[in-house]
Amino acid sequence: MRKSQHGMITPTQATILIINYTLSVGILTLPRMAANEVGTPDVWMALLISSLVPLAMAFVIITLNKRYPNQTFYQYSGLIVGKFLGLFIGLVITLFFITDTIFAVRMMAEVVEIYLLEETPITILIVIVLWLSLYLVVGGITSIARVSQIIFPLTILTFVVVALMSLGLFELNHLRPVLGEGIRPIFKIKSMALSTLGVEIILIIQAFMTDQHKAKKVIFLGVLVPTVIYLLTLVMVIGALSIDGIKNLTFPTVILIQSFEFPELFFERYDSVFLIIWTMQIFTTLSISFYLASLGLSQLFNKDIKPFMYGLLPIIFILSMAPKNLYQLSWLGDMIANVAFVLFGIVPCLLLLISFIRGKVQ
Amino acid sequence: MPSFETIKSFLPEMYIYGIALITLFVPLVISKLYYLSIKDPSKQSDWVDETSSFLSYDFEENVSLVKEELGDSSDMVLRTFQLGDENLKTALIFLKDIVDIEMINNNILQPLMTDSPYNDLQDYMDQIKNGLLPVSEMYETDCVKTISINMLQGNAVLLFQGTDHAFILKTPKSKTRSLEEPVTETLVRGPRLGFNEDIGENIALLRKAGVNTDLRLISSQVGSRFNKEVVISFVEGIADPTLVESVKRKIQNIMIDNVPESGIIEQLIEDQPLSFFPQVQNTERPDKVIAAMAEGRVAILLDGTPFALIVPVTLSMFLQSPEDYYHRSISATLNRWLRYIAAFLTVFSTPLYIAFVSFHQGLLPTQLAMSIIGAREGMPFSIIIEALIMEVAIEILREAGLRLPKPIGQAVGIVGGLVIGEAAVEAGIVSPATVIVVALSAIASFSLPQYSMSTSLRMIRFLAMFLSASFGLFGVLVFFLFFCIHLVKLNSFNTPYLSPAIPYSTSDWKDLLVRMPIKMMNKRPKFLRPKNSIRKQ
Repeated sequence: MRKSQHGMITPTQATILIINYTLSVGILTLPRMAANEVGTPDVWMALLISSLVPLAMAFVIITLNKRYPNQTFYQYSGLIVGKFLGLFIGLVITLFFITDTIFAVRMMAEVVEIYLLEETPITILIVIVLWLSLYLVVGGITSIARVSQIIFPLTILTFVVVALMSLGLFELNHLRPVLGEGIRPIFKIKSMALSTLGVEIILIIQAFMTDQHKAKKVIFLGVLVPTVIYLLTLVMVIGALSIDGIKNLTFPTVILIQSFEFPELFFERYDSVFLIIWTMQIFTTLSISFYLASLGLSQLFNKDIKPFMYGLLPIIFILSMAPKNLYQLSWLGDMIANVAFVLFGIVPCLLLLISFIRGKVQ
Repeated sequence: MPSFETIKSFLPEMYIYGIALITLFVPLVISKLYYLSIKDPSKQSDWVDETSSFLSYDFEENVSLVKEELGDSSDMVLRTFQLGDENLKTALIFLKDIVDIEMINNNILQPLMTDSPYNDLQDYMDQIKNGLLPVSEMYETDCVKTISINMLQGNAVLLFQGTDHAFILKTPKSKTRSLEEPVTETLVRGPRLGFNEDIGENIALLRKAGVNTDLRLISSQVGSRFNKEVVISFVEGIADPTLVESVKRKIQNIMIDNVPESGIIEQLIEDQPLSFFPQVQNTERPDKVIAAMAEGRVAILLDGTPFALIVPVTLSMFLQSPEDYYHRSISATLNRWLRYIAAFLTVFSTPLYIAFVSFHQGLLPTQLAMSIIGAREGMPFSIIIEALIMEVAIEILREAGLRLPKPIGQAVGIVGGLVIGEAAVEAGIVSPATVIVVALSAIASFSLPQYSMSTSLRMIRFLAMFLSASFGLFGVLVFFLFFCIHLVKLNSFNTPYLSPAIPYSTSDWKDLLVRMPIKMMNKRPKFLRPKNSIRKQ
């Protein structure tokens, strides 16, 4: 029973898992957040700079992982800082992934509610998605990786098509002036760095990888591909709607897609098509965090993983109903990103330091 | 520190907790039921081989033993005669309808009765062994069980007085039809030869495919009451040895009384009996079997059926036809795409139509939406009922056409199609657009090369229809995700069902969406883990 949960994934699958985990709500909201923080059309440069943050974090993480091969963070953190502190850090990370699942599932249900199914109660949407997700995660990381491999090309294809279709609305003037307010704005990268986070799951999934020495390539691609896609989104949205036009839009990307028309290509509107693909994308995100949360509980308490998966299901459902509106939900999203920065940026640095000082524990 | 009131304000209402319980229990119950249903029944202890009796030196007793073993059956012939001056009692026993009587008369009885210089029993038995009887195969045994099995296979048994050994003489006569072109798998180009019901002839067809010293045939028996020969066939040096081992083990583990058709074996060796998808390929075409073995797969042939089984199999193989390789690459690729589109339409055309018409009219081009909605004006049923009526009618037509003799079947198709389609629209029961969409999905399903796969796709379409009627495009999405998850979990003999597409096996993509020119396909499919991967220099 315990053996079946330890399926392996190839480096390609690990890369795609990271990409899928990273690309989530940010696709819809990043342009607004970036526009509000940076305020000039130079956001795309800020994005490029901000992508260095997850890259640096991931580099620290794989250095740490290298010292404890074939073990997940849940298993080796106790070896570094002692059993109780290790358990505490593990539990916090588990809680983080639970919260992340909650945020993703609620956000998905909200968006589906707004754009696809106005009359269906949100609870039903969440329950259905959670059941599907449970069906996926009981198959272990291999199943999640394979489903991501199905969804990833669809996402890329949709993105390319949407980008090409929005070319008609693109105005280069919206991206000018370059560096009009000096170099200062492009270093306001906080919100962008936070929403391009995602590569941190290498902390745990590296233990499931077949060729662990390829981890560097995995994190590099895992940061590069989402950055390119986010860049495309930013340039597309700002180029069409201008930086001032998107500051007050909840989901600027959807507005962009709603604003072009290609009736000769069968559909009248394309936002629903895009949102369907986006929903699949975020489904993988929430399944990955759901799995990592259950994996954390199972490895911290050294028990079989399945009861935790079933047990988390009602908890995630109840907590996902706690935010009362989209505003509170966005606040939750911001909190998650902040916590992620601490958990996966600072904690691994400290642990790496301690681990160096204490020497390799066998 | 937030106050208690603040925390309390975030707690959801009571009914949420009720739904949470349902959220937990539904999957729990489903998984419990699932594990109960697939659990292997405990090994039955009364499943033991009866201890076999052996022949003795008493001639009369031997004869009656053999007779009793087969229950003194009415088709059993017991020919007793006496040899030589000592009047040695001799008996030839066989089942008259499955032996070659001419061979028994000319090659056994004639030499025995006319030109047998009998003096001494031991000497005589040596003569028989060394060439008195012109019979190609001959064994000696003293086990009554072996004797009876051989008699049932169409062999004759020769018993002598004064010895506890019997001779088994190979005299079977097989009753088969001639080799014909398979009806279910017709091709424009390719060999016009199909398997028939005789395993000997089927093996001959495989052997005749080309001189190959590495073609291995492993024979074993299945069925405890109606024992039959089953042959596992593969190419040594290509097929993965662990695959061959696992096929052998699964065949040996079959404990069933009767195997009338290879479909029974298929269901007993597949990994997921509750899946919608077939996990073993069946075919009547020897060229398909040979091509599969050349890729490193394993074929299973059963006596008494023209359908050979091929394992492992993947989803893409069900959408491919041997003709893809016989035609030139570009036309083969286009045909393959056509089939992929047909498979997509089979499953998704009706559900998407339902979703668009009942939930997302705004997505359709205005003209189209207007005409569809306009045509549905005054229709008595909701769109899902309408689609269901048509789908069920078409399924019934298909089934009826299948059962009836061919000419009548076609008539039923035409009359049914006209009546159901035209009249239902005229009478205002269904809208014309529904008829178009349902007919499209039915025709698409008929264009798929494997019957078992098109049945599966047609089945899951109904699920998709219900989901899309309840949740629109989101329902179609849920359906799609559900089957993505199901398919990535599915394995056929340790080969992922979606390979080579998922997990990515880039070197095998030369033969997935496109069929590259044969000149470029110089490797065998990697996902089948062949021992030797070079197909072409």
